[in-house]
Amino acid sequence: MSERNGLGRRRLLTSAALGGATIVGASALGGLDADAAFAAPMPSLDPAVSTSVFVDGRVGQIRRGVLDVVEADGTHKLIQLTNATSIWKLETVTAEAVEVGDGLYARGVQMPDGSVAADAVWVNIVNLYVTIRGIERSRLHLSHGRNAMVGNIVEKKTTASFRGGALTSNLSQLRIGHHAQVLGAWRPADDSVDIARISVGH
Amino acid sequence: MSASLAMNLAPLLLGVLLAGTGAAKAFGRQVAGQAAGTVLVRVLNDGRRATLVLRATGVLELAVAGGLLAAPTTPVPGVAALVLGVGFLGYLGYARVTAPQSSCGCTARGNGPITWRAFVRAGLVAVGGATAAGARTAWWGQVVRDPVASVLLLAAVTAVLVAVSSDLDHLWLVPLRRTRLKVFGHPLVPGRDDEVPVAASVELLERSLAWVAAAPVVRSGLIDHWESDGWRFLQYAGVHDPEGAARPVTVLFAVDPRQTRDTTDNPAIRVTLIDDRTDEPVAADLLGALPTG
Repeated sequence: MSERNGLGRRRLLTSAALGGATIVGASALGGLDADAAFAAPMPSLDPAVSTSVFVDGRVGQIRRGVLDVVEADGTHKLIQLTNATSIWKLETVTAEAVEVGDGLYARGVQMPDGSVAADAVWVNIVNLYVTIRGIERSRLHLSHGRNAMVGNIVEKKTTASFRGGALTSNLSQLRIGHHAQVLGAWRPADDSVDIARISVGH
Repeated sequence: MSASLAMNLAPLLLGVLLAGTGAAKAFGRQVAGQAAGTVLVRVLNDGRRATLVLRATGVLELAVAGGLLAAPTTPVPGVAALVLGVGFLGYLGYARVTAPQSSCGCTARGNGPITWRAFVRAGLVAVGGATAAGARTAWWGQVVRDPVASVLLLAAVTAVLVAVSSDLDHLWLVPLRRTRLKVFGHPLVPGRDDEVPVAASVELLERSLAWVAAAPVVRSGLIDHWESDGWRFLQYAGVHDPEGAARPVTVLFAVDPRQTRDTTDNPAIRVTLIDDRTDEPVAADLLGALPTG
């Protein structure tokens, strides 16, 4: 935990929120969570969002909060991480969790010097359509196209959704043969995927 | 007796195996795509050359297979297969050490990373080659002379080959796993604490009116989350821009930690904007921006 979301900061924010928050009720519309990394950018009336830029590549170097990202075509982009940047790597993490070699998808604002100040960064995020081929206590055997792969079940992190229901940590309804969508974080070390969310029957 | 049986039948088994993998490499339509995932590309510095090498290896395997099947009693094809197997092992070892994520291209199929199965397969080719070199009787003669033992040995070796080929998992491994679940029960029993995962709270938030109201302000994804005073707090970063004076804010949502999309479609959510420079709550009329009716 860094200073920006340390316990003291949490306490301060909590008391500010409980003091005089607007309470809003009722329904509908989009998101900025991990799913949003794959959604087509929605037209927005907010000028800040319409000027967002997207960067997709591998982290080549990390220097004091600046990531040197190499895109697929070989071009380098500098990504600045700030206190206001959200970083996802299976869960919400801090900048220290980003490593050289990680795949990265970032949304942010173009700076005059050509770098990108990131609003949100998703690290090693993958979105796969798979078939469940085996179920064990700590992992699922999956097939993706012709390839076999391993999906790790991470305690308190892996969630499932069945037939459009809410996300739950109860995975007991998974069955061999189920077709599923897996949102997760790829682990470069052993080429497996840590499962954030597995959706069945959508 | 059984040693000579294995020696005499080895050319048949190894010949069929190499004919299969060789044909897939030499004539397979996806070999070009397959070669792209192998360590060959990096060694040769060129995808087209890697494809060529992979296809040439296929032709070589076919030639050795032809020799094993047609001239089983001469030691040359067996020795050639032994050399081929040792070569595969060396290549796999090199690839595994230098590029652990690359594919071996071994069977010209799937392009998963190199597993222990690939090593076992290559080892079997080497051992099979050494065994085949010792054949004294042609395999067809052996089968006629000793049909029962021959069929048993062929079946046993075929089973081993199937077990080390991931392409054939659906034939035996998946049914085996299914049976295990039936016998021992589902390994993923629900935990004792029925705590709502944070992802479910985020999902609830993102389908709420509170989210729609705050959307113009929120810029980041989830930055932090914690529970306090009976609420689950979800922290985002944003920019509040009331009249052209943009200032960075923390957007804090508080949701009921027990609620999910399944239990309510009308959640009560607290929204607070906190100025990042002063740490003071910002009085903002988020709801005023929403279309009414």
